[in-house]
Amino acid sequence: MSQPPVAGPAGGRQPLPFLARLRAGIARWWPYVPALLPLALTLAIVDSLIGASRLQNFGAGFFGFIITDYGILIFVVGSFLTSVPALVIAMLVGLGIAIASTTYLPRFLSEWLDPFVDLLAGIPSIVYGLWGFLIVAPFFGHDIFPTVAPALAWIPGFHPSFNSPSLEGTGLALGIIILTLMILPITTLLMRDALRSVPRDLWESGLALGATRWEVARHVAIPYAKRGIWGAAFLGFGRAMGETVAVYFVIDQTARLPTNIYAPTSTMASLIVSSIAQNLAGTDLHFLAEMALVLLAITLVVNVAGRWMIRRTFTDVAGL
Amino acid sequence: MGAVTGAPPLAAEDDLRRDRSGHLRGRTVLDRCIGWLLPLLFLVAIAPILDLVYWVASRALPTFTLSIITTNPSGAAGGLLSPIVGSLEILLLATLVAIALGFFGGLATAEYLDEETAGAIRVTANVMVGIPSIILGLFGFIVFVKYFGWGASLAAAGVTLGIFMTPYVYRATDLAYLSVPPHIREAAVGSGATPLQYLFRVATPIAFPSVLTGIFLAMAIGVGETAPILLATTPVAIPPLSLFQPASALPLYIWSGFENGLILPVAIHRAFQAAFLLLVIVVGLNVLVRIIAARSRRRLEGLFQ
Repeated sequence: MSQPPVAGPAGGRQPLPFLARLRAGIARWWPYVPALLPLALTLAIVDSLIGASRLQNFGAGFFGFIITDYGILIFVVGSFLTSVPALVIAMLVGLGIAIASTTYLPRFLSEWLDPFVDLLAGIPSIVYGLWGFLIVAPFFGHDIFPTVAPALAWIPGFHPSFNSPSLEGTGLALGIIILTLMILPITTLLMRDALRSVPRDLWESGLALGATRWEVARHVAIPYAKRGIWGAAFLGFGRAMGETVAVYFVIDQTARLPTNIYAPTSTMASLIVSSIAQNLAGTDLHFLAEMALVLLAITLVVNVAGRWMIRRTFTDVAGL
Repeated sequence: MGAVTGAPPLAAEDDLRRDRSGHLRGRTVLDRCIGWLLPLLFLVAIAPILDLVYWVASRALPTFTLSIITTNPSGAAGGLLSPIVGSLEILLLATLVAIALGFFGGLATAEYLDEETAGAIRVTANVMVGIPSIILGLFGFIVFVKYFGWGASLAAAGVTLGIFMTPYVYRATDLAYLSVPPHIREAAVGSGATPLQYLFRVATPIAFPSVLTGIFLAMAIGVGETAPILLATTPVAIPPLSLFQPASALPLYIWSGFENGLILPVAIHRAFQAAFLLLVIVVGLNVLVRIIAARSRRRLEGLFQ
């Protein structure tokens, strides 16, 4: 695409006329304008949030526990309390599905089941939320939690205290369950891709040495695809932290730390979304913008790390 | 890439896995058990969704009449005309914005930038995909509703959703043009095609189906999103007459139903009907994508034989 140097009659380079230089410059540089738009939009988002916030509030009080006075820590804790367990379950189940799909299932079955799992990633958040609130919450509140809770009460945090409005279905536990279902397709998909990228030679040499398929998957494929699996964990975590509407529907949005796993609580995203029903002006908007900045910082770091790991995996494969 | 990847197909029964008396060895038994148990995990992923689809359909369909899609909502009752029309209008505007912002970036990254720059720029687009949608919503509220003074409007919702969909269109375009085989490009350039002739006559016809599937996938993701448009428009009972009037949408209708408590049976039915319509649109777009992808793959295979 670069402009060839124009040779003058004397063999030396003549300065191009202005318009030709302009044309050459545009031909050289125009691709950067549209290509950098996503970065520009990301920066515009950060800039608008900084503009709407009051950054001097990023002090000790901002991270304090006090809800009435610009406290944010309980929402950060709430976000981690829902996202981390959901991520752990989704990673374990997703890894199992990924191994089953790449290793054990016959081709025709995995070709039918894989697109089905991918399709689940497209189901709108609000449909999960509606289903979780109207169908799953009553079912868990009436049938599952009352049976399961006494058996699990010895685990710290699993004892339903009788003063809090517990065992009604909605709350932290249901938030974790719905969140798990929502991030399961994406973690499964990414780990499946990671396992698919393991060279056939490695599988076959493992099998030829007499290892079973499970042993090859466990000791060869998973270590090889480790970075891709970590990438899936990071991206799944970012997805879980940012998930908003469905969590808001089933978590019984209450601005306090949960006393047990059945108690209502709040995440950063669900607090932002719940404030929308109220009058959004002045200090409220400042507070939400500051919270959004914290959430954005966490998700950006997690996503950059995840993408970086996945990219490394692919270059490794390409380099083989 | 060249290297063959992925697990080899299942081998036949292997005598090496048996001991001298013909019994399966312990490790082999473990392998067989895992081989039967792991696929059951698919049920963990799929069973809840079948339950979801069953309940949404069973709550939506018995009271579903044609008047629901031809009348506007009134209070908790009425129809779903304005959310349906609003959803389609917002989606149309958002798709145009996303194509305008995303297509040329993907094209430039795939065709006109050197490998290293393109790789770095791809990361920025992938990271933008990871921005939580509620933050996009807050951005749209701060910039379009407040700063530009558009108010709660179809325009603010459409542009915000369009920005949300931009990186998806960008990635799809990028991948589509990257997937044009190098030998096709070499053949075109070698037979004297100018860069523009190559772009319009060679690369675009090959890449177009993939770009189209990417746009449809972005639409399928965008139409179900609540958070980006939640602050940019308000659920109103009539479809908008101009860009700067508020437009309702199916997700917003469900949202406002939830905020109003979802106590009346008719409100619950309407919410499930809106959810059912959303599912139909999303699944329909996904099926469309698979059909286009399968057809274009057949066409390309014919082309390269």
